Amino acid sequence: MNKFLSLTKILVLDFFSKYTQQLNVKNKYLTILVMFLPALLIFPAAQMVLELYNTFLTLGFPELTITYMYIANTILMIFASIPFIISVFFYSKDLQLIATLPVKEATIVFSKLASVYIYLLIISCFFFGTSVVLYSTVGGLKLSSLNVGIIALIISPLLPMIISAIIILPFMSVIGSGKRRNLMVVVGNMLLLVAIIVMQMLSSRIQLRPEELNTILLQEDGLLMMVGRRFPPSIWLTKMIQGSIFHGFLFIGLNVVLVLILKACAKILYSKALMKFNQEGAPVQGGKIYYKSRNKGLQMIKRHIKIIVSNPIFLINTVLTIFLPILMFIIILFTGEFQAELFKSTALEPYHVYIFSAIITTPAIIGSLSSTAITREGKTFWETKVLPVSDRDNIKYRIYTTLIIQLVASLILGIMTLLTIPVNVQTVLIAAVFCITSTLFFSNIDIVINIEKPLLNWSTPTAAVKNNLNILLALLLRLIVGVFGYGLYKLIDHWEANIVILIFSGLFIMLYFISIWIVYGIYKDKFIDIVP
Amino acid sequence: MLTLKNASKTYGNNKKAVDQLNLEIEKGEIIGFIGPNGAGKTTTIRMITGIIAPTEGTIEINGKDIAKQPVEAKKNFTFVPDHPTIFDAIKGIDYLNFIADMHEVTIQQRKERIEKYTKAFQIYDALPQTINSYSHGMKQKLLISGALLPNPNLFILDEPMVGLDPHSAKILKDVMREHCEKGGTVFFSSHVLEVVENLCDRVAIIHRGKLIACDTAENIKKNSSATLEEIFLEMTKDE
Ligand SMILES: Nc1ncnc2c1ncn2[C@@H]1O[C@H](COP(=O)(O)OP(=O)(O)O)[C@@H](O)[C@H]1O
Ligand SMILES: [Mg+2]
Repeated sequence: MNKFLSLTKILVLDFFSKYTQQLNVKNKYLTILVMFLPALLIFPAAQMVLELYNTFLTLGFPELTITYMYIANTILMIFASIPFIISVFFYSKDLQLIATLPVKEATIVFSKLASVYIYLLIISCFFFGTSVVLYSTVGGLKLSSLNVGIIALIISPLLPMIISAIIILPFMSVIGSGKRRNLMVVVGNMLLLVAIIVMQMLSSRIQLRPEELNTILLQEDGLLMMVGRRFPPSIWLTKMIQGSIFHGFLFIGLNVVLVLILKACAKILYSKALMKFNQEGAPVQGGKIYYKSRNKGLQMIKRHIKIIVSNPIFLINTVLTIFLPILMFIIILFTGEFQAELFKSTALEPYHVYIFSAIITTPAIIGSLSSTAITREGKTFWETKVLPVSDRDNIKYRIYTTLIIQLVASLILGIMTLLTIPVNVQTVLIAAVFCITSTLFFSNIDIVINIEKPLLNWSTPTAAVKNNLNILLALLLRLIVGVFGYGLYKLIDHWEANIVILIFSGLFIMLYFISIWIVYGIYKDKFIDIVP
Repeated sequence: MLTLKNASKTYGNNKKAVDQLNLEIEKGEIIGFIGPNGAGKTTTIRMITGIIAPTEGTIEINGKDIAKQPVEAKKNFTFVPDHPTIFDAIKGIDYLNFIADMHEVTIQQRKERIEKYTKAFQIYDALPQTINSYSHGMKQKLLISGALLPNPNLFILDEPMVGLDPHSAKILKDVMREHCEKGGTVFFSSHVLEVVENLCDRVAIIHRGKLIACDTAENIKKNSSATLEEIFLEMTKDE
């Protein structure tokens, strides 16, 4: 086999084996079912695209669905690929081996990007893919559009991926040199993400006066030009799918040029960024030799927190999953798309407790830290097993670590929200009860997922905390709880909001006690059986 | 000090890695556990230390069953694995304090012992640095120092000589001897026969998961004029 293909095959297999690795092969149907779990997301995605399609259809420009979804998709892919590229290039353990192989730099760079590409293509299928299929099937099959659309879909991850790679690789070598490297990497990347969001927010604000809109609607491509003016490839793509060979040439040409640029830069990226970063090693920190005794539990919790903090990918991932929704909220607030005044209106007041509860509970809902608490330790998991700490405590301190991080995050969010939405003390207290009870439940029950699927042999940190089945199962659990919760809410939605929230908190307390029984009663034995 | 009764381990792939192992180790002994690659040494040691649970059989350390009273049993031993994979984003001294806290070593004792062992192994000056800057051998010496810190009743090591320079290997052998003279017990696996022969009170030989001999080196050699190496090769020969 060609060197590039066999290297790519190994890297991709290694990456995606994390999904299937720990599945019980005997349960063939279950395996298949779980594999396709994420595919369920296609339903909400298709629903969203369909609504967009209908909106544009009434305006008479159904093809704008594609333009919009392509732009949204590209932005999403840039987001998704940044932490991913960093993990695959800078924090993966296989570079030492790969660097010794007799292959060209470009081969290494491209084969490393292959798993990023596949990951992005999957994302692209959900959003851009559904829009292509809907556009070319709803209201009569347009076969040529479908074919061209599928080609476009396959090409679509290239642009965001290569742009991210070309930004990220030199960026990392700059911020990654010198002292406190890991900290710099985390801070640097957070800033980069914020910068991208802000740029996006600023550039997508379209302020129109009604009379302008009319003139635009009168022109044949007026709306398309306006939507796509900040990002011409989206216009080319739309026209290509509509059948324009010239625009198809432009769109495909652009992607080919990007690949060629990356190829030309590969050698420099490899030697100046990749090897430099990986050779510098961690800075040696000086300090004193001390002798100090601490409580066992504190030591264990400290260890688990340090495992997150010391790994930039774990840290970025933790911070992002916990704060990103809020970050976007703040940015929207500051870019003026959204008025804080709205919250101060009296009409919304009865819903304050819902809004406030939802915001401060996001860390527990989005950051399923417990579901990777064991996985994060990887091959060092054996360490605590040989120490005189009971298995119950060993599990407990992992859960406490999750609790501490998530409650601190909730506290920060709570304070930030209070600064924008003034609510009364009673609301704060009730929301806090809800937040604490639900956090207790989720942090406990998530560890079951991790005990069931410990995944200790990961090669890149993203595989440990992001792209694995555990995260999906944790999300599924939240989905199930959410569906039941919504059903219950529908039954009692005429009750006062505070009472509703308190009822839900009560249910979470009950679930929490059940989860304690499940974790320490049933899953302790499975924890003992984990083979490191 | 250490008793294995019919200890067996079958991994997920239905492979019997350790098969009905019986072993009794007395207080104050140094036992060498030898066998070819894949014989089941690491598996046995992981069962003893509670890293994995045996499929069958019981293991007692100082009269405490590792499955029934794990914490009490684990207070009696410390362990150095065959590969120094530990959480390495902390400093060497952080690691040692962590281990000392877990085993409840007093401040006075930890100061004394950390200085003694890390100076002997020449890693004392590296203690304020993060472990990921250590070499393989340094990490291993840190692990050994950490394991000696609680002055355990039973000191368990898996292939401890691999990766150590001759100087450090000599120190380790001295430390193991000294530990026994103070009344401690040492159980270690190795495939370096010479070390085992010179150092150990008794030798246990494992082959394909089964214990095929457990006696003093002299007794194993008694009936023949062959060296231990020749006997070992003969015993573990593949038909
Ligand atoms: N985690 C595991 N899963 C399946 N088989 C294993 C595992 N660990 C070890 N084995 C198998 O058990 C046998 C004994 O291995 P091990 O105890 O590591 O041998 P030794 O340490 O004596 O070289 C080997 O055949 C090995 O393939
Ligand atoms: Mg071994």
